[in-house]
Amino acid sequence: MSARRLTRRNLLLGSAALVPLLSRRADAFGEKSRFIPAVARHGGRWDSRLSGLRRIAWELQRRTSVEVVPDARPFALSSPELFEYPFLYFGGEGGFPALTEAEVANLRRYLTYGGFLLADANDGSDGDGFDSAFRREMARVLPQNPLAPVPSSHVVFKSFFMLDSAPGRLLNKPQLMGAMLGKRAAVLYSQNDLAGAWSRSESGDFEFDVSPGGEPQRELAVRLGINICMYALCLDYKDDAVHLQLILNKRR
Amino acid sequence: MPKAWMNPPTFNAWKFVSLSPLPPWALVLLALGLVLGVALAAWGVRREPSRGRRVLLWALRVGAGVAAFFFLLEPGIRHLQVARMKNRVAVLVDRSASMSFPTEPGGPTRTAQVASFLEKAAPRLAALQDRFTVELYGFDPELAPVTAASLAKEPARAGTTDLLSAVRSAAGAGQGSRKLSGVLLFSDGADNTELKAGVVGRARAALADLNVPVSTFTVGQEALKDLAVEGLKVDDFAFVRNSLTVEVEIHGRGFSGREIPVVLSQEGKTVASKTVRLESSDDVKPVAFTFTPDQTGRFVYTVTVPTFPDEAVADNNSRSFTLKVIRDRVRVLLVVGRPSWDERYLRGLLKQDANVDLVSFYILRTLSDDPGVVSDRELSLIPFPMEEIFDTKLDTFDVVIFQNFGHADPSLSIAEYERNLERYIHNGGAFVMIGGDSVLGEGRATMPTLMEALPVAAAGPANPELFTPRLTPEGLRHPVTSIGTGAASTEAAWAELPPIPGANLTTARPGATVLMDHPHLTANGKNAPLVAVWDYGRGRSLVMATDASWYWAFAAHKDGSPSRAYDRFWGNALRWLVRDPDLTTLKVTADPPSVEPGRPVGVVVQARMADYQPALDAQVRVELFSVTAQKPVAVQTGTTGADGVVRLEFAPPEPGPYKLLASAKKGETDLGSGEDAVAVRAVGPELSDASVRPELMEQIAKATGGKAYRLPQDGLPDVPLLDPPVVEVGRAKDQPLWDRWYYLVALIGLLGAEWFARRRFGYV
Repeated sequence: MSARRLTRRNLLLGSAALVPLLSRRADAFGEKSRFIPAVARHGGRWDSRLSGLRRIAWELQRRTSVEVVPDARPFALSSPELFEYPFLYFGGEGGFPALTEAEVANLRRYLTYGGFLLADANDGSDGDGFDSAFRREMARVLPQNPLAPVPSSHVVFKSFFMLDSAPGRLLNKPQLMGAMLGKRAAVLYSQNDLAGAWSRSESGDFEFDVSPGGEPQRELAVRLGINICMYALCLDYKDDAVHLQLILNKRR
Repeated sequence: MPKAWMNPPTFNAWKFVSLSPLPPWALVLLALGLVLGVALAAWGVRREPSRGRRVLLWALRVGAGVAAFFFLLEPGIRHLQVARMKNRVAVLVDRSASMSFPTEPGGPTRTAQVASFLEKAAPRLAALQDRFTVELYGFDPELAPVTAASLAKEPARAGTTDLLSAVRSAAGAGQGSRKLSGVLLFSDGADNTELKAGVVGRARAALADLNVPVSTFTVGQEALKDLAVEGLKVDDFAFVRNSLTVEVEIHGRGFSGREIPVVLSQEGKTVASKTVRLESSDDVKPVAFTFTPDQTGRFVYTVTVPTFPDEAVADNNSRSFTLKVIRDRVRVLLVVGRPSWDERYLRGLLKQDANVDLVSFYILRTLSDDPGVVSDRELSLIPFPMEEIFDTKLDTFDVVIFQNFGHADPSLSIAEYERNLERYIHNGGAFVMIGGDSVLGEGRATMPTLMEALPVAAAGPANPELFTPRLTPEGLRHPVTSIGTGAASTEAAWAELPPIPGANLTTARPGATVLMDHPHLTANGKNAPLVAVWDYGRGRSLVMATDASWYWAFAAHKDGSPSRAYDRFWGNALRWLVRDPDLTTLKVTADPPSVEPGRPVGVVVQARMADYQPALDAQVRVELFSVTAQKPVAVQTGTTGADGVVRLEFAPPEPGPYKLLASAKKGETDLGSGEDAVAVRAVGPELSDASVRPELMEQIAKATGGKAYRLPQDGLPDVPLLDPPVVEVGRAKDQPLWDRWYYLVALIGLLGAEWFARRRFGYV
């Protein structure tokens, strides 16, 4: 059974089933405590993966106990409203102009006080395009906390699914990059266009092919997306002592 | 005071002295000259063949030399008037409390037996007065003069027996330089200080260094019937919910083959019990109790064995001690219904707090979730160990937090463990319920039994609208919501926080304290509580009726200014839940926590205002509450000083466990209440052991050159005493001896005879 057929059916059936559930709960207690990805609006092409973000929120709802609003809400990086959305997606195709001082300061405060940033090079760039622009801006936002490779032992690879790689639509880089604030990874950065693997067109088809691994790689990219969301929500929960032995056994 | 025996004012002694005015060096030179003269004479006749002649010439020269020296020295007789000081003999009687034990069942007390012996020995002691000053002291261990009559009249009370110190004091006591010729020591030998382990090591050396024979008189019989709790070993403090061990020794005399129940109780409530079997007629059996204190604070514990009717001492059958139970790190169990931002910020806070040991369980997947995996091995999920955390390990947690945790699915429902949780809180645990869409009236899991222990009850559907919570008057002062340094600062700190979205609709139960409420959401005409607390049984619980307190952690920073409100609020909440002593406005401390028999009970009360500033001139009232009798036995009042502290003292109460219950007021303002525990011991080390130690008394006598005796005796035996060596000089009169004419004739005669003999033998 291919992943494409499975997810398409689930999209149709699951979406229909989810609508009354989401609306009931939202009525009862509001949506602000639910998982809603915010999207960073910058001067470049920032909005090419909004469907992918809605999709990963939906997958989170389907596969885990997390309650979501399957939406992607864009905000300027200088917006105080960002502080109601602790998960921020920062993607782009190609470079983008330098952030303003206000944006840099706001983003720094956002990360320092507990916000989480998932950065994603939608163009799969390395040293140019989005990659060079993002690294340039991160050096301004967190000059003391440079991006560094995230080891495979990091809790993000076991926060829900057991994973050992970090594929997206592409597999340019085998690992994620991260900026640590203390023990917390405040920024995770994929150069493999993670959200490209999640994106669907309005007709329900996946927007992009996944290479080189095809559909299995797409499933891994979805799982990694869920793990990243789980990490943003649960931090190092899966590093707690109660999980260690069990996870060790599963790794064998 | 002993009097020196004086001779009549006549010369009663004499000695030879030199009356020569010449200085000593001149006398030495002259003596050398004389020796030289004798030597020359001897040299001169060395070849004399006749031995008779040689001896005669030597003898004559020696005789002349001696006679000449006699004149040079001017010898005389010094007539002296001397007054001999009599040495001392110290009679030391043990005045420790064990001397009030009977010598035998139904017999007189040990002290009475000593008194009766001293009366019998009075004639012999009087006879000793010719040569010695006999001093009679009681020691406790300070020396105090006693008489046989006063011994019989005043009971022995001292809390310790220190034989070595008493003998040392006796050697140093008395008048001037009068030395001690001997000690007569009357005791049961029940030393509980330096000689407790016997006459060994430094104690032996110290006794030998005294150079005084100590003759011992052991009083009392060894074979008493008695049961005693001895050798208590326990730390001064313990960690709550951690096991600790109390060790005691049960000392039984005359209970061979008997099974003795031993009970450890905490203020009247049995904590543990054991049975020991005493094998011989004088047996010591160790008993160890291991238990786990479940609350912080100071408590009185008592180890008790039954009292049998024919026992020598009943007071030593129980032994009380106080134990301060403190916490190590606060052990928090966080159970989360599902990952959420509210959970994420609380976890971040608890994990970074070095004082918190966090154990957490999140429901990451419910039955309705489809993770899309072929095998569970692809997931990092673990089974939810409900039985372990809500049953076997529940008591190991200081605080349990339910964060929007309420599942109706059989696999995740805690219905089976609700009673455990309710009992856990009732018995001293702490519980926090954080709201959301699965609890407090939302979702399908109502958890009725657990809800009994909470300060609020569900009252209808939640309200998702943004609102700014209101601090109630109670909340302004309560340690949980006091996030500023004073009332104004607290109010300002809360006012700065952003509005939060969504609140569960609840009503406060009677007895609950609402600290914050919703400004317009009401139930039964009252504003819905947002934060409410109460004491449930011996435990505490807190409800936060929203899942949006994370706004205080994150959204509060949107305008750029840092805020510590969230950290302070939850930090305060944890400290209040676990009864952090620093969060009480009235701090009560027993001083000291264990009181020896007959000593007053002291208590220090520190009063603070609601803003934690010292309360000056606060009226403090402390009740001494007997745990045994379950009623107050005394009350003391006082006024605090500038530092908010007052020390009060109670007259010595009956032995047993007590609570010190304090309350304070400043004007009309109630400053709260507090308590501490104090153990008034029934017996000190002295009365806990009724045994007689004749072997120790024998060792003392042997180490000092004295003799050991046992009472009763018919009269005073011949005890070894040192002779008094000391002579004191009074007036003197010199009588010259050299100024007699016949000494001069003898000198001339000797010299002449030598000259004549030399002429005769042909040497001149």
